[in-house]
Amino acid sequence: MRFRGCVRPSHPRFGLYTVESEWYGMTHTRRAALAGVAALGAVGVAGCLGGGRDSFGGGTDTGESGADGGDGSTDTANGPPTVDAAYHVPYESDALVDESLDGGVGKDGIPSIEEPSFRPIGEVTYAEGLPVFGVVRNGAAKAYPQHVLSHHEIVNDEFDGEPVSVTYCPLTGTAQGFRRGDTTFGVSGRLVNSNLIMYDRGTESRWPQMLATGIDGPMTGATLDEFRVVWTTAEEWAARHPDSVVMTDDTGFLRRYENDPYGSYAPLGGYYARDRTMFPPLASPEEGHAKSVVIGARTDRGAVAFDKRTLLAERVLTGTVGEGGASVVAVADTGLSTGYVYRNPDDLPVAPDGEGYRVGAEGDAFAADALPLDPVLAFDAMWFAWAGFYPDTTFVGEHTGAGYGG
Amino acid sequence: MGAETGSPDASPFGAPAAWTVGLVRRTGFATRASLGRRDGRATFAVVWVAYFLAYAVELDHLGRRGAATTGTDGGRSSAVDLVVASDPLALLTRRVAPFQYEPIALVTVGPVEYLFAPVNVAIGLGLAALVGVTLAVSVVAWRGPAACRIGAGAGAAAGIPGLLSGFVCCGPTLLLVIGVQASAGLLAVMQWFLPLAVLGLVATLLWVGSRVDPAAVA
Repeated sequence: MRFRGCVRPSHPRFGLYTVESEWYGMTHTRRAALAGVAALGAVGVAGCLGGGRDSFGGGTDTGESGADGGDGSTDTANGPPTVDAAYHVPYESDALVDESLDGGVGKDGIPSIEEPSFRPIGEVTYAEGLPVFGVVRNGAAKAYPQHVLSHHEIVNDEFDGEPVSVTYCPLTGTAQGFRRGDTTFGVSGRLVNSNLIMYDRGTESRWPQMLATGIDGPMTGATLDEFRVVWTTAEEWAARHPDSVVMTDDTGFLRRYENDPYGSYAPLGGYYARDRTMFPPLASPEEGHAKSVVIGARTDRGAVAFDKRTLLAERVLTGTVGEGGASVVAVADTGLSTGYVYRNPDDLPVAPDGEGYRVGAEGDAFAADALPLDPVLAFDAMWFAWAGFYPDTTFVGEHTGAGYGG
Repeated sequence: MGAETGSPDASPFGAPAAWTVGLVRRTGFATRASLGRRDGRATFAVVWVAYFLAYAVELDHLGRRGAATTGTDGGRSSAVDLVVASDPLALLTRRVAPFQYEPIALVTVGPVEYLFAPVNVAIGLGLAALVGVTLAVSVVAWRGPAACRIGAGAGAAAGIPGLLSGFVCCGPTLLLVIGVQASAGLLAVMQWFLPLAVLGLVATLLWVGSRVDPAAVA
């Protein structure tokens, strides 16, 4: 069954919503305040869908680290770079702080990697289907193995001198990249909606990874400068980027890196396969496997989720950002088992043409990541996590089973 | 020998200090007497080793090597391998989670991996010794009818706090295994599992020791 619509189409945008989660077989109901497009979402809003982000992650930088952050005090000067265009966040920051939980490990209990080491990807043989997170930036291609990052969650790295952080939350299945300026990110030890809450060591502000928005500290309300990280497999990344390097397990720490503490993606098992979560979600979708994977995108106005497996099968899906919102189109990159999302305000027809796509009635075919449309940053996420943070999201595709969708 | 047993009928309400001293001395003597017997020593040794191994497994420090790579990443393809952290002294006391500390070496023997975290080795061996002694005294008491004033069921129950204490290390990962969703309250309680388990073990040992007639055991 194809479904297009909101997680809870009737949820009140300015009221109270119910959250249900399994608890010893009982229905556990909590109440939390919603504020529609809350104050968070209003900070630095560019005013239109086209504002701010001009590529898969290259946002319109404010020019200075933390320049538009929170209260504008000098406390934010040491923070990470931010952008003018805010993301839609349908919760008040205070509500998110209240809903955050101690993950049981303490601040920096999960140590970020500060000095990653790499080797040519051609020198490494990984198990079939092993996930890696690929980044192409400043002319360099790097892959970060999921089984290493599941023990560290954050890598503070550089791309040709540009300081960045590549982050991964195992519990929400999200890999995202952020420019970090002169500071570094660490793991706060707290979670919200099962999602990693990062902290920046410059201002000690708290940043839920998926929201990319400060919820506590001097940079509350600021939006990080985010870039695309591709969730793919080692063999697919190596085939597309044979000159890429891959991060090794020489991290400065010793772990049993070949044992993911949460489960396995190849083959699928453990937490990644179960239709329940370790921590209570902010909201629960009415349909769909909790661990099915969506390609999610959000703008300043709303959010949209494309079922990844459906997208890879059909190659082109269209939808809107929120009900009645702006039109977007998602296209699959089957070579990397991923997808890209573009604004499509004129509803131009987009159709597969060989390995690429044709936009409009005529013209050349373009690669999935290079359509002549305005791109919207998107990333893989577990469906429960996306729906929890964005209960007003639209969903496009069919609900499928657990797994990374490849 | 009788002088070491104290007064078994002393009341904790009458003379608390004397009662406590008597209890500790009686338990200490029962412990020494139990470990002086072959069956007591065997029980202690088996439980000590088994518990420590179980503790290491629960910490995820010991286990079968996974299959993320096919042997060409990190160069750990030999049957026996030892990797030591570049700065072990800096990592030694780095706290990873409540009562869990940073490993400083990784030992691989065939398909088995072991992460060596010295502080956790000390904690694990200490817990294992407490469990081992408790069960040794229980077993000796159970096998010696003349000395025994606890049943077999009570003896086995004496080990339960120790076994449960082994799960304190895992935090939320334990919840993943047993399929219980975490809450703020549960997570807060879990951080106190280990000290509570140690207290429970000591209390159990004192109880078991107080129920045994050391003269009959010896």
